[in-house]
Amino acid sequence: MNLVFGLGTTGWILLIVGAVLLLVIMWYIGVMNQLRQLEVKVEEAESGIDVALTKRFDALTKMLETTKGYAKHEAETLEKVIKWRNGIPSDATLAQKQEFASSLAKVANGINVVVEQYPDLKANTMFGNLQNAIMDTEEHLQAARRLYNANVRSINHIIVTFPQSIVANAIKMEKKEFFEAEEAKKQDVKMNF
Amino acid sequence: MDFTELNIVRKKCAQKTIIGSILAAIGGLMFLIPYAGGESAFALQQFLGVFVLAIGIIFIGFGAAKFQQLKNNFKQVHLKKMIQELYREVRYEPKAGIGLDRIYACKFIKRADRSHTEDLIIGEYDDVHFETCDVRLEERHVRHTKNGTQVYYVTYFLGRFFEFDFPKEFKGQIIVTEGGMFTLFSNLKKIEMESVDFNKKFKTYSTDEHNAFYILTPHLMEEIMDLEKRNPGQIGLSFIGNRLSIAINNHKNTFELNMFKEIDGSTLEELKRDLGIIQSIVTELKLNRNIFKYEEVK
Repeated sequence: MNLVFGLGTTGWILLIVGAVLLLVIMWYIGVMNQLRQLEVKVEEAESGIDVALTKRFDALTKMLETTKGYAKHEAETLEKVIKWRNGIPSDATLAQKQEFASSLAKVANGINVVVEQYPDLKANTMFGNLQNAIMDTEEHLQAARRLYNANVRSINHIIVTFPQSIVANAIKMEKKEFFEAEEAKKQDVKMNF
Repeated sequence: MDFTELNIVRKKCAQKTIIGSILAAIGGLMFLIPYAGGESAFALQQFLGVFVLAIGIIFIGFGAAKFQQLKNNFKQVHLKKMIQELYREVRYEPKAGIGLDRIYACKFIKRADRSHTEDLIIGEYDDVHFETCDVRLEERHVRHTKNGTQVYYVTYFLGRFFEFDFPKEFKGQIIVTEGGMFTLFSNLKKIEMESVDFNKKFKTYSTDEHNAFYILTPHLMEEIMDLEKRNPGQIGLSFIGNRLSIAINNHKNTFELNMFKEIDGSTLEELKRDLGIIQSIVTELKLNRNIFKYEEVK
């Protein structure tokens, strides 16, 4: 039997199979780590949404308090629109957060309508500051949403692309939901002060 | 505006330069090309050649010096007036520039071995404070040849640098650069924005991903891409604190007259276009939208 580098035909076949197997295992681990890292980024981005929503909730609560001094009934009506009176619960789902964001947008729009009917409220310096704060929280929320969606897009792209989809299936990783910009929120951005 | 007198002086400068160049070329040829009449005749020819060359250089020198005076005069009188018509509370200093430390603070411009700044404009547009100047940055190179060591300088940045007050305040830094610009940032991470076109054209670096998305709104990204289209060359932007720095490396020395080009309406139009960049940056990037500056309400 001819030996090359001390290996026979069977030895070579085993070596090649072993090398291919090693490459496959390394690739598998690589894709798995990439998916896990992206999942962490998605989670981080989701917590960014929580922070932005909390800031927006706090700013709107302060705004409603100020509004009560001028338009008590309207402010109380708007207050009822907000689902959670103490901010976002820690176990809230993404869909619930979207709903919460939407209700905050409705309140912001509502205050916008109220302020037009009460010139004294419009002239209030503190209220003006709060309006700017609301706009800023909206920008932060938009940023958090875009960052979250960019990360979701990256991870979903890998999950649905062959052959990475094999790894995603094996570790039971599913496509992530996007945090949609709702129509009410889009209107909120266009608030005309 | 009547530029008749300026054009008369400009033409005289151009004539002197042309005559000087012709004389210098003739002198050079007389010095270099051997004459068939023998060695002594060639020596005399070379002597005359040097004489003609010297006269040529003197002519060029006079032409250049006079034209420099003309340019200074144009900047001090006409350009200054144009700037004052466009911007409020404005100060123009043709021979001054923004401090190099502030230019390097934008982080995407590497330190130069030799530098020059001029045409400083400080002012306000739509309540937005700005400063801008022309910048030339050069890198020292050394070449070793059999005749010894030769030192020369290569210009790697020639263009305009701008600083604006930015309406959003945030912690950290964001840097957006076009390909080919200096990008060795130790403390910043590369960020992929959601816009594929923007990522193709620009590289984004930030201390924090959220801040990058907060500052670089979809509208701002579009406007940065438009700004890049309107201004050929490489563009870099840095958002640090409440300051936006923009550098446009277009290999152009702005606000300079051309000795061989008539000073007329088109010259003014070009200057207006160059000055108008400040207005378009403020308006298009919405730097005048100061709704984000508010007192924290407890």
